[in-house]
Amino acid sequence: MSAVNHQFSEARLAEIAALTKRYPGNRSAVIPVLHMAQEDFGYLSMELQQHVADTLGLRLMQVREVVTFYTMFREQPSGEYRLEVCTNAGCMLNGANELVAHMCETLGIKVGETTPDGLFTLTEVECAGACAGAPVVQVNNVYHEKVTPESMDALITKMRVKE
Amino acid sequence: MIPSDPQQVKQICFDRINIPHVNQLAIAQKNGAYAFLPTVLQEFESAKIIDEMKISGLRGRGGAGFPTGLKWSFVPRNTGKPTYLLCNADEGEPGTFKDRDIMRFDPHLLIEGMVMAGFALNVRDAYIYVRGEFLHEANVMNEAIREAYAANLLGENILGSGYSMHLTVHRGAGAYICGEETALIESLEGKPGRPRFKPPFPAVEGFYRSPTVVNNVETLASVPAILKHGGAWHAAIGVPNNTGCKIFSVSGHVNNPGNYEVPMGTSLKTLIEEYCGGLQHGTVPKVIIPGGSSTPWLMAEHYDVPLTYDAMAKAGSMLGSGAIIIMDETADVVAFSRRLAHFYAHESCGQCTPCREGTGWIERMMGRIEDGQGSEKDLPVLEQAAKHMAGRTICALADGATAPILSLLQHFPEEVRSRITENRL
Amino acid sequence: MTNLFINDQEVEVAPGTSILEACRQNGVDVPYFCYHPELSVAANCRMCLVEVEGWPKPAASCCTPASEGMKIKTQTETLKTDRKMIMEYLLIHHPLDCPVCDQGGDCKLQDYAMEHGASKGRYVEHKRAVVNYELGPFVNTCMTRCIHCTRCVRFADEVAGTGDIGVLNRSDHMSIAGIVEEALESELSGNLPDICPVGALLDKPSLDVSRPWEMSNHKSTCTQCPNGCDISIESRGDEVMRIRPITGSPEPWICDRGRYVYDAFRSDARILEPALRRGGVLETVGWDEAFEEVVLALKDKRVGILCSPDWSVEGHTAIRLMRDSLFPDAKVSYDLHRRDMRAFAFEEGLAMTTTQIESAEQVVVLGSDLRQRLPLLMQRLRKRAYAGKPVSRIGAMNYRTNMDLSSDVIIRPRDWSSVIARAMDQVRDLGKDAAGFDAWLAAVPERHEAGKVLADALISKSCALLVGEEIRSHHDAAALIAGLDLLMRACGHAEVGNDGRNLIPEGMNTQLLSATFGDVRVSAGELFALASAGELDALIVVGSDPLGDGLFPSAAMAALTRVKMVQIGAIAGKIGRHVDVQLPAAAYSEIEGTFVNMEGRIRVASNPLRSLGQERPLWKVMMRLVQVMGADVPVVSLDELRSEVVKRVPEMAGAWDAVEQDKLLLKPARNRNVKFTPSKNKPAFELDVVSRYSMYREGMWARGSELLSKAAELHRLDDLLVHPDTLQAAGLSAGPMVVRSFLGETKCSVGVREDVSPGVLFVAKRGIAGDLSDLDSATLGGES
Ligand SMILES: Cc1cc2nc3c(=O)[nH]c(=O)nc-3n(C[C@H](O)[C@H](O)[C@H](O)COP(=O)(O)O)c2cc1C
Ligand code: SF4
Ligand code: FES
Repeated sequence: MSAVNHQFSEARLAEIAALTKRYPGNRSAVIPVLHMAQEDFGYLSMELQQHVADTLGLRLMQVREVVTFYTMFREQPSGEYRLEVCTNAGCMLNGANELVAHMCETLGIKVGETTPDGLFTLTEVECAGACAGAPVVQVNNVYHEKVTPESMDALITKMRVKE
Repeated sequence: MIPSDPQQVKQICFDRINIPHVNQLAIAQKNGAYAFLPTVLQEFESAKIIDEMKISGLRGRGGAGFPTGLKWSFVPRNTGKPTYLLCNADEGEPGTFKDRDIMRFDPHLLIEGMVMAGFALNVRDAYIYVRGEFLHEANVMNEAIREAYAANLLGENILGSGYSMHLTVHRGAGAYICGEETALIESLEGKPGRPRFKPPFPAVEGFYRSPTVVNNVETLASVPAILKHGGAWHAAIGVPNNTGCKIFSVSGHVNNPGNYEVPMGTSLKTLIEEYCGGLQHGTVPKVIIPGGSSTPWLMAEHYDVPLTYDAMAKAGSMLGSGAIIIMDETADVVAFSRRLAHFYAHESCGQCTPCREGTGWIERMMGRIEDGQGSEKDLPVLEQAAKHMAGRTICALADGATAPILSLLQHFPEEVRSRITENRL
Repeated sequence: MTNLFINDQEVEVAPGTSILEACRQNGVDVPYFCYHPELSVAANCRMCLVEVEGWPKPAASCCTPASEGMKIKTQTETLKTDRKMIMEYLLIHHPLDCPVCDQGGDCKLQDYAMEHGASKGRYVEHKRAVVNYELGPFVNTCMTRCIHCTRCVRFADEVAGTGDIGVLNRSDHMSIAGIVEEALESELSGNLPDICPVGALLDKPSLDVSRPWEMSNHKSTCTQCPNGCDISIESRGDEVMRIRPITGSPEPWICDRGRYVYDAFRSDARILEPALRRGGVLETVGWDEAFEEVVLALKDKRVGILCSPDWSVEGHTAIRLMRDSLFPDAKVSYDLHRRDMRAFAFEEGLAMTTTQIESAEQVVVLGSDLRQRLPLLMQRLRKRAYAGKPVSRIGAMNYRTNMDLSSDVIIRPRDWSSVIARAMDQVRDLGKDAAGFDAWLAAVPERHEAGKVLADALISKSCALLVGEEIRSHHDAAALIAGLDLLMRACGHAEVGNDGRNLIPEGMNTQLLSATFGDVRVSAGELFALASAGELDALIVVGSDPLGDGLFPSAAMAALTRVKMVQIGAIAGKIGRHVDVQLPAAAYSEIEGTFVNMEGRIRVASNPLRSLGQERPLWKVMMRLVQVMGADVPVVSLDELRSEVVKRVPEMAGAWDAVEQDKLLLKPARNRNVKFTPSKNKPAFELDVVSRYSMYREGMWARGSELLSKAAELHRLDDLLVHPDTLQAAGLSAGPMVVRSFLGETKCSVGVREDVSPGVLFVAKRGIAGDLSDLDSATLGGES
């Protein structure tokens, strides 16, 4: 996946211009704009980070610091579906580790890896703030709660079929 | 509707939570949302609001339990700089998931609370800092805000009162530390979320070096009821110095995990047995974590502890954000502590030497111990590495990181030792 | 004042002082890593913990303000363990490579480990390795040694203003990294190794060359720009290994030019032996033989003298004494950058100290690439801006500053008079007037809007006017400066105690130079014209390189062929290729001498570094010259020479008394009666030419330094620069073209930049463009 076009669309630029007005300084908009960039282009390549910096009138380093600090920002492409399993306290006490082991088996990959077909990336994440629904799996930022190995398998199958 | 008799009050923030579609303005309004707002904007003065808040005895629901009215009274006036109101919806403390429900089910309650707080503090620009993962919640909030703007409940000259406030939802991007108020401010300024040292306190020099109030979602969501019924009314709920209701996020080995808003002073046991359907296995918990993963563990002897800031402190822990994690007899406390050690090592912002290096060191030691590579000699080192982290850093993350380790060593030394010897064989 | 107790001792500090500063000011040792008095407080190392009576936890002293009655303890059992633990945390990932690390012997981590650390670390886990990053030709990185104090990050943000170093990641993956293209843009990068408390950032040029304990230090003065920073010359034997700033001097930093120029001290360009040109080549000879030749060249001849401002005060006086003894009619030029030698209403030098400039209400920079010219004054302005104080600028280019200017306007040099006139109109409307306004305004038909920026700044209680090279080298400089002087008078900024008239000088010692040579000076251009016209027989060039520097390279070249050239100096420069006789004089690293900087601060340097060859202090060479020419030698000792200095400049009397010296500030000359008004003559060609200065390239020492040449390569811009509109107006597009001027037609290619004023042609002193520095106007045309 090479980054060919790394320019925000006109509509995005308008959205960004409106957004920056919401803050006392442009720099405040960097996280929202990085979210947009990631949504539009999949991941934050160095060129894209430079583009974000230019768009907001920031230095590249100011953007780099933010990108590398926050875990939701990706500097590398990921699978089509990002399966993020919370394995923190509440989820751990309710079978998250077993769920992860099961998912590794189903997908044939280790935690942190992407399936060879580029469909799934499996990661463990910190407390999702939904412990009543433990274990919690976020699929591309959508929460799935009280996930069991069976319900996860069903979900994976559904996603595979959709492709 | 919240009863005006304090004795009958069971819920404050969750009053409307079960009404279907109450996230929609029309339905929320039908159920009392914004009904009292015009009175506040037209008849109340800033000083009166702050007084009512002081009288109410409301303590911040974000974790530290600092009296809200007092916090508001610290904001200097006429500095020539704007005052900002920031709602802390970062909700990252393992075990906490209460603010999420307020936002996704009753967003108008939070908006109303923020307009009232903003009015009291003469705020023009307010922000809700939502953790990045809460995409859905942010969307619900944004939709509610859109409706509120359309109904002139936000924006310029709200309801003709002459007061104007703008509200923006700002999503973070995955960093527990951004729940710490000064880290939140840094993050909202577009920087990595590294806490600032104090003084200066945010009330004096916060967001863009201007006076800033940071309050938790639940704190702000409590404001409409307090102003409607009066500070004294609120002070009569719960027990002295621990007034009002509090949402407890109960998780772990209970049959019905979830959020429960109960008057303060309710006993923990009552909460677990009557509301949460009791433990999954056995009758007494092995470990009680009363206020989120950063608070020291309590043992079964404290099962009956009243849910108040003071009683928790007396028992040797903290009420924190009200995130109760219960472990029953099946729990592997060593593995659990190791998992939390990983969490804190992963979430340390990295600036303070003891926290940056200490959390990583502890994680590695705990990993070794859990994997059976530990030795007796590790235990004093582990304890020292943890002890000297706490209280020597800029923020309290380091203190929180030591809680699970020191609790483990204090209450379960034998389980740790047996892990060491067992796996050696 | 705040009173507090440190270890039971009552002390007094200014309100707002941190506990750590209170301790430092009172000689109480508190260990720290991240704190640096010149940088903002980060409070991240947590080494500076102290105990405060009544507080439950130890406090980081660097970020805790001292308050009235506070009782502080810096040495307790708890603190001892805390410090030991901090050291242990810090050392868990630190490599144990002190024996091969340049910082060894001068390392906070090493020192504190001895003082506060445990004898043995208990960390047995995996150690972290960190990737290095490129930080340019001067800074070596070894990031595994980094302790994350973030001093370098704060330096880049607050001092260099480039913000190119940052903190990546978090937790114990946190690392410091730079963005290289930008890192190279700092003229102060050499300070990074100094502020790094460990061996993560090391001085690259001196890497692995020597260890701190092998070096000896000599206090000296840098003559690479008129700021004249205090420097410590660190040497091993007689070889200079490093130059560093001196703690406690007016500037905590030095620039890369002053720091790295030292490799020119031992370069091939040095003049180390007397030499004569025979059959086209310079041959080394003995002093006597050389002087015989000098006598032949100069005896009973019409002589002109060209000297550099950077010699010591003693050197200049010796030149004057030599002139008076031998060539009483000779004209002297000490400035390669001034076209207009009429008296300036305010002469070169600063009326204010840099500290006063930093704190003035308003600062206006007129026509100066200050970052290149005076990097440390630029730093003061950056500090100002960081504190929210305004700095505005008018000039021919938006020269890069690495800071935010409150206003920044570009103009053509020919518009200066209409800018000033516009400002006069505005201040007069506000009731501020001066007697000369009418005559001055009458001479200027147009008004330029940029004048508003100037007038706006002048309407303030204190205003530092910084007049730069674009005006100083203007052909009508005396009139422009007279206009500015009127403006400053009208607005009350010309009074004693509130004098904001600062004219940035070209070199050191300018306050004394006008006193020493004021009655006999000419511009270098005139001197060369006299030579070319056959009115001179010989030129004595004392440490100046008119072919490489300044505004007259073509004139100098033309003159060369007509006269005999005697060069006296420490370094040969481009002119060295053409001289007939060369006599070696000692470099500033080798002499005892007195220097006056642009603020008028006096520094006496004494450098016991032995000469590398046959060179002698300049004053001795001068006296010997007088002697061999058969005249009476006016002075025979440094003391006698210094009395000659005092005869001309009585204020210098206390200069050699350490106590008096600190009280002395020599203020630049004021010429009250100049009444010059702008000339009505239009420049001959339509584009104004501005000669661009590069700190890495200007000056014979800099050109003799390989290190600076390397940096110059990295900072390279096109030789000629114009605004895109300028090309368009001429109907040209980028590519080969010709510059037409009084020198004829020169082929060239031109770079295009938005930050250059339309109507201006910037020329760099290099290659072909070097020859274009003589121009003050030109046109561009297609190749015919
Ligand atoms: C490491 C750390 C994490 C925190 N996380 C949160 C959080 O997620 N939400 C929150 O409301 N407060 C959090 N806090 C507490 C805030 O710093 C702050 O005290 C709170 O937002 C104040 O609001 P309140 O007065 O309404 O409680 C955290 C504190 C620390 C030290
Ligand atoms: S204690 Fe940890 S998380 Fe808090 S500021 Fe220091 S390094 Fe960051
Ligand atoms: S010097 Fe105070 S924390 Fe580093």
